[in-house]
Amino acid sequence: MGLARYTLWRVVQAVPVLIGIITITFFLANQIPGDPVQTMLGPNPGQEQVEAIQARYGLDRPIHERYLSYLSGVAAGNLGLSIYYDRPVLEMIMLRLPVTLLLMLSAFAFAIATAIPLGIISAKRRNKPADHVSRIVSLIGVSTPSFWIGLVLIIVFAFYLGWFPARGLVLPWADPADVRGAETQFQVIRTAAHHLFLPMIALGTLQMAQITRIERSAMVDSLQGEYVKLARAYGVPESTIVRKHAFQVAQLPVITIIGLGLSTALGGAVLTETVFEIQGMGRLIITAINNQDYELIMGTTFMFGVAYVVGVIITDIAYAYIDPRVTYGDET
Amino acid sequence: MSTPHGGDPDTETTQESTATEESGAGDVQSRVGMRYTLSQVKRDTTALIGIYIVGFITLVALFAAIDYYIFDYAIAEAIMYNPERDPDEVNRLLPPVGMENQFGSGVLEHPLGTDHRGRDIFSRLVYGTRVAMTVGFMATAIGLVGGTLVGAVSGFYGGWIDDVLQRFTETIYAIPFLVLVIAFMTAFGRDLTFAMIGVGITAIPVFNRLIRSRVVSIREEDYIEAARAAGVKDRHIIFRHIIPNSFAPVLVQATLQVGVSILIVAGLSFLGFGAQPPTPSWGQMLSQSRGYMLPAPTFSIWPGLAILFTVIGFNILGDGLQDALDPRINN
Amino acid sequence: MTTPLLTVDNLKTQFFTEDGTVRAVDGISFDVYPGEIVGLVGESGAGKSVATSSILRLVDSPGEIVDGTITFKDKTLFGLEEGPDGEPRPSEEMLTEEEMRKQVRGREIAIIFQDPMESLNPVFTVGGQLREFIELNRDLPKEEAKQEAIDMLREVGIPDPVNRYEEYPHQFSGGMRQRVLIAMAIACRPDLIIADEPTTALDVTVEGQILELVAELQEKYDTAFIWVTHDMSVVAEICDRVNVMYLGEIIEQAHVDDLFYNTKHPYTQALLNSIPRPDETIEELDPIKGVMPEAINPPSGCRFHSRCPEAREVCQRVHPEPRDLAEGDRPHRAACVKYDVFDVGYDASPPLETEATGGFSAGLTQTGPEAETDGGDR
Repeated sequence: MGLARYTLWRVVQAVPVLIGIITITFFLANQIPGDPVQTMLGPNPGQEQVEAIQARYGLDRPIHERYLSYLSGVAAGNLGLSIYYDRPVLEMIMLRLPVTLLLMLSAFAFAIATAIPLGIISAKRRNKPADHVSRIVSLIGVSTPSFWIGLVLIIVFAFYLGWFPARGLVLPWADPADVRGAETQFQVIRTAAHHLFLPMIALGTLQMAQITRIERSAMVDSLQGEYVKLARAYGVPESTIVRKHAFQVAQLPVITIIGLGLSTALGGAVLTETVFEIQGMGRLIITAINNQDYELIMGTTFMFGVAYVVGVIITDIAYAYIDPRVTYGDET
Repeated sequence: MSTPHGGDPDTETTQESTATEESGAGDVQSRVGMRYTLSQVKRDTTALIGIYIVGFITLVALFAAIDYYIFDYAIAEAIMYNPERDPDEVNRLLPPVGMENQFGSGVLEHPLGTDHRGRDIFSRLVYGTRVAMTVGFMATAIGLVGGTLVGAVSGFYGGWIDDVLQRFTETIYAIPFLVLVIAFMTAFGRDLTFAMIGVGITAIPVFNRLIRSRVVSIREEDYIEAARAAGVKDRHIIFRHIIPNSFAPVLVQATLQVGVSILIVAGLSFLGFGAQPPTPSWGQMLSQSRGYMLPAPTFSIWPGLAILFTVIGFNILGDGLQDALDPRINN
Repeated sequence: MTTPLLTVDNLKTQFFTEDGTVRAVDGISFDVYPGEIVGLVGESGAGKSVATSSILRLVDSPGEIVDGTITFKDKTLFGLEEGPDGEPRPSEEMLTEEEMRKQVRGREIAIIFQDPMESLNPVFTVGGQLREFIELNRDLPKEEAKQEAIDMLREVGIPDPVNRYEEYPHQFSGGMRQRVLIAMAIACRPDLIIADEPTTALDVTVEGQILELVAELQEKYDTAFIWVTHDMSVVAEICDRVNVMYLGEIIEQAHVDDLFYNTKHPYTQALLNSIPRPDETIEELDPIKGVMPEAINPPSGCRFHSRCPEAREVCQRVHPEPRDLAEGDRPHRAACVKYDVFDVGYDASPPLETEATGGFSAGLTQTGPEAETDGGDR
């Protein structure tokens, strides 16, 4: 019983979905027209060369056999070989994943940190000017393509004002020796933050708008709840009511929307990485597709699925942690 | 008490209205039909603004379609500029009217300036509307039909059919949809048709969820039981009773989904998946503008504003419909 | 009698809606003396809940108290005076919002709401919510407040209070939650508890238990109660004195015995006829005819005339204020012009044709002549 078991239960539940993801990506990848071997070896390869390559990547076996061996490979943590990079797919992913995760995390941190106060103010001052402003901002936020926000940010803050760099990303834990203009770890972190700022806003704006809208309506509902009336009738100060009584209940729909937003944000990461020329998972999958690198396409798609599933599990656990009414599946 | 009539009477009226809603579920047509929707929408200012924006965009798209299919750009050529036939690139990167940059000054012929190949941005925006609207509506339609079928069948029959279908949609949903559509288009084709189908497929889980939950709750209602007892066929029950009954929430969701689809397709075009040159689309224009952000920033601004304006229209309309059709929300 | 604990004088609370002004409470006056249970009875929409939230000054927008005085002990909870511009403004003695919150709400006047399922916050433990209110209203440190909360849970009959303290509202049944709400009210040691239809949402056996519990606790702590209900049988069981409300007005005010055995107002009579009584055997219950009109546009004259079996033409014109009609030494006020003290020519006035007087059929189950006449004096 308890959260630990609930977590385990959710992880076990995710296994069929993950197998489903592998299946879909495998068969999609097999539909891809063109011959990767040809791409690799050029127009007139020798027969032996072709066979050697095919054998090395297992392309000479029938499809169901390859599917099963891919499946068991994934289970064993082997995502195959990238033809384009000539390295294991997993290695490439591990190289790129931290970049995308950093981008995602900062975008959500930015979104949550701005959206929750906005939503609360909006709900508290319903139909007053502050509410109208926050609603218009969030309406624009959910209607703007994230990559365009990125372009505008680059034009304004990188090109005209010159405040932030227009491209690239530095990991805050990178070795100072590898980062231009940095000697200490602190300077690396500062450079990283500098680079991260614009992409974070570009990717986070949609989530911010989304969360603001939900936070507002959840707080409006929650502030009308009977339990808020009760707290008022017992002399609880209004600030405590907003911060504690109403807020805690209003977090539940917000957590749900964050979970749903993960899918959009992971897709948005592909675009944001393109706009800011960041070498993350998004660029990796585009590179893989442009070079018909089957196993890399499958591996990256699968990892996007895994990232989403893990994110959803985390939000589910957060939900269960806040809402005592969630039964942990074992107490029926 | 938080109610206009004081505590008691309001609770009573709410109960009453829900009661009428439920009991009125039998004469579905009168409550949830198009006429009812319109009458509600007319009273809601936000919904009306949404209708105006969407109506305007639709007219622009229709104009572009007619000009393209029937007149071969003759109208555009007469009043604006031919968006497709490249001149000798003498007009490269002209700024909008009244502005100047290193490539020259804006002329009236090109109200919003020209792109990197000397084509009129305004005309290309107008033609991009056609692509955006087609894709938005088609993708939503695919998602709507697919999701409704899956959700209705799944919710109505339950059991293993439900299990299989739900696992399937869950899996689709578990791959971030932009990534899924990219993978799908890589496998089948990079052009607009597959963009529509791909985005439509990603919308299936959304409508599935909506319909299924309603079907499950409606299935137990008395009038459905009665219809069943009277020997009405399942298919008839699904199509005649359950689906019409979900009209309002589906309409709201579909409206919002058009906006979402337009956003996704713009993103796809930006990455090079979707409408292929020379067919103009907004995402593709943005993608092309990336090389010219410093000398010609307006090139990047206009297509984005066009997307923003269109998607806002659908979002306002969706929100307005939601308010107008849901009696429980009074803002 | 001693001095009243609570005095409500000519209270008017109105809701300013788009459709017009709703006069939800329209000039009611009543007293509550220490340690007594005063009933506030009426159909849904009579303005009972608005009246009680007005006492705590918790009327939500667009509602507003527009007139009257509410005095509790020596505090003015609401009072107006004439400002320099001739417009009424809050009087100087009236407590500020801050003072209301700190001195009155919970601490002096506690409330029990109708819906035990919704009144507790779903994401906090039952004990934590109880403890918070105790801490706040009795200035106890956390640990003592917790001990007190557990004691209170035990007192309202919740088994195993130490463990139940840590549980969440969804783990409690409706009756148990209502006990928790009662524990909250009692635990703050107020002098007055407003019980706003606390048993309406419960089933009958649970209702009985709750009433018993309240009676027991009331005796022990000697707290005064305002008991809001639409159920005359609950009134009979628990109340000392009763105020009957109809469309924002109090139309009869009497000791519970007088109200039941010497009913003055036809509306009260109609309410009584609609419930089974152990002391009388009647053939059939007699529901009140029609529905209560909207408070936004109340009928002229006596507001009950449209449904009154004894309505006469004069009732449409004359709006009666309650007057003392006492026959014994206990005050008994009612607002019906059929009594001679009103002297508006009721006897000479021709009967009105309404659905209740049999003027036309309202399509109700009972239309026989007996039903129509037995609404009068019994």
